[in-house]
Amino acid sequence: MTEVLHYIWLGILAVFNGYPLFTLGGIAIPAAPIMVCGGLLTGIAVGATPGLAGPMAMAIALPILISVFGFTPDALLPVFGFLIGIMKGATVGGAVPAILFNMPGTPDSVMTTLDGHPMAKAGQPRRALRIAQLSSVTGDTFSDLVLFVCAPFLAVAVEAYLDLPEKTALLILSISFIAAVMGNSRGKGLLAVALGLATAFVGTGQALTPRLTFGNNDLSSGFSLVSVILGVLIIGEILIGIEGLWQASRLGKKKEDAPHDPAQDDLQPGDIGRIAPYVARSAFIGTIIGALPGIGSTLAATLGYSLGARRHFKRGKPGDTPFGEGAPEGIAATEAANSAVSGANLIPVLSLGIPGNAAAVFLILAADSIGGFNPGPQVFHFTSPQVNPELVTAFGIFTLMSIGNILNWTFGGRFMRAMGVLARIPGPILLPMVLLVTLTAIYVQQTSFFALWVTMGFGVLGYVFRRSNIPVLPFVIAFILARPLEQNAREAFSATGGDPWFLFHSATSIALILAAIASVIFLGRKQAES
Amino acid sequence: MRRMNTDVMLGLGVVLLALLAIFIWVPDDTATGLIVKLRGRVSIGDALAPTAAFVLMVVAGVLIAFEGHGKDDVPHLSLANLRFVGLFAALFLVSVILMRWTGPALVGLVHLLGSTDASYRDLRDTVPWKYAGFVTGGTFLVTMLMSLIERRLSWRALLVGLAVTALLILIFDVPFSDLLLPPNGDV
Repeated sequence: MTEVLHYIWLGILAVFNGYPLFTLGGIAIPAAPIMVCGGLLTGIAVGATPGLAGPMAMAIALPILISVFGFTPDALLPVFGFLIGIMKGATVGGAVPAILFNMPGTPDSVMTTLDGHPMAKAGQPRRALRIAQLSSVTGDTFSDLVLFVCAPFLAVAVEAYLDLPEKTALLILSISFIAAVMGNSRGKGLLAVALGLATAFVGTGQALTPRLTFGNNDLSSGFSLVSVILGVLIIGEILIGIEGLWQASRLGKKKEDAPHDPAQDDLQPGDIGRIAPYVARSAFIGTIIGALPGIGSTLAATLGYSLGARRHFKRGKPGDTPFGEGAPEGIAATEAANSAVSGANLIPVLSLGIPGNAAAVFLILAADSIGGFNPGPQVFHFTSPQVNPELVTAFGIFTLMSIGNILNWTFGGRFMRAMGVLARIPGPILLPMVLLVTLTAIYVQQTSFFALWVTMGFGVLGYVFRRSNIPVLPFVIAFILARPLEQNAREAFSATGGDPWFLFHSATSIALILAAIASVIFLGRKQAES
Repeated sequence: MRRMNTDVMLGLGVVLLALLAIFIWVPDDTATGLIVKLRGRVSIGDALAPTAAFVLMVVAGVLIAFEGHGKDDVPHLSLANLRFVGLFAALFLVSVILMRWTGPALVGLVHLLGSTDASYRDLRDTVPWKYAGFVTGGTFLVTMLMSLIERRLSWRALLVGLAVTALLILIFDVPFSDLLLPPNGDV
């Protein structure tokens, strides 16, 4: 226990005594807390702008952050601080245009429009925004607390009980689960995974001649992580957005501008007590869903809202505003659920090295670019007297998340309410701008036009995926996990003396493989039926 | 009820491509086979992982075809989608050409006029040469995409394009001497 407390203290010190941003009156001001604050404000602004999303801001910020802080382990916490701030801020900010203009800022705030916008239209926009912010921050904080407790235990259990064959089986289970639960077709989920794996195997391998390159030297080190991720996730989304605007202009569609009543209003007496049970239930649902890799916050929001509506229908009093017509409980149920996903999503990242959503992918990308921190079970080695620097970084990340929550509780709401103006930025300006910013960010990292071509190629692939209803996240996650999977399998195969049945030696790995098969068969079928 | 819809075609196409990869591409483009025996030690070869990925792709293709069979309406790429992608790719291509060649072309022009003997490579770290390609290519991309969306060329689109490239120069190039804007990492 003393060791744990010691590491928690070292994590806090790493944040407050780490990389100084500047000195003020002879006192060094640490970079990491300032970066959390900057990231949070950026995230709220990005979330409040329809067409932008947290991962886009992360993609653009990463090369700038790395240029500022360099490639040393000292850079890890300031860079993570900014990215975590964006992650938290974007979740809160997405509610702003959903409530004020009936335009979801992020996909997971679609359900917020159902009650948030009617409440705003009824002349209570400030009340709706305050309920959204309170619920969102409560859900996020609860989820973070679960992360702080669960991630170390899970990692220690994995290290203690899982050997190389079991770890290989666990990676197979993760990939199968993601393929099964994302999208509405298990075939398309599996196709995304298979393509992600195949893409990751290009140019890698152990032989001196790189594999699957068609003799192209530029591919001898494989596709770069940055180009693939930004191409599929960001460029693909931008293409869809630009095409949507192009078609809308051909049809002469005008953006619906909902009336906005600027009347001053605020939380009503009894609002907190009224939304508390809904927030608690949705925070729990969001945390459970967030801890499972691949299941996004949109499902959490939908589930939280549906269960909230059922409860409201059964227990609501006469005279209560029904769900869908501006019920405060509806806003609370949605916002608490989708925000509770973000912290829990880091449980599989930090404890197993398995990313669960796009924001987690960018944290792994940052760790991979900077070096000195490899998310996975080995992080949580409580070594003594030698200090495990990766564990200090992990507790530093927990500290940064706590700072983010405190900032979100204190001034996040005020900043969020001021961001309504960003929803007015026209899409025809925004999307081409974001495209050029993303391409420039990639070029300054890779300094090669080849990287731009690769990115654009994967952008078109991301576009085709979206148009054909093939989920993109399984592709990205399979791409990230492919090399650890192959490496683990190689080592397990060698360690068992070349036994081709190494995955079926222990009861644990057999159970994990059976779970992988069952997830594709049963979860996939449920998805298809729904 | 349609027996052959785009999902069935997608599934069959995926199966065909995956089989080509398994039997032609992977054996032809990997240095070691599925299993390697070297000095009595057995290890996994470079071909095993890609082969496994393509086998998974065959399964995926069969499932897609099976799931899509008999469905009336499935999301798919339309001709309008392909036209949009083609248009976008053309704009991107012209933008990259402008980024890559504007600077060297300007230096070549100045060279012809006899004002300098230096090549673009010698001048790529000096203003205004280092920004020439980025400003023209970047402005072109933003302006043309805005014009595509709005279905008309406008001065506003040009001004936004110029403002965005100027902003990016201020963000990426002015404060950081180690970052290179396009095309200066390639020339």
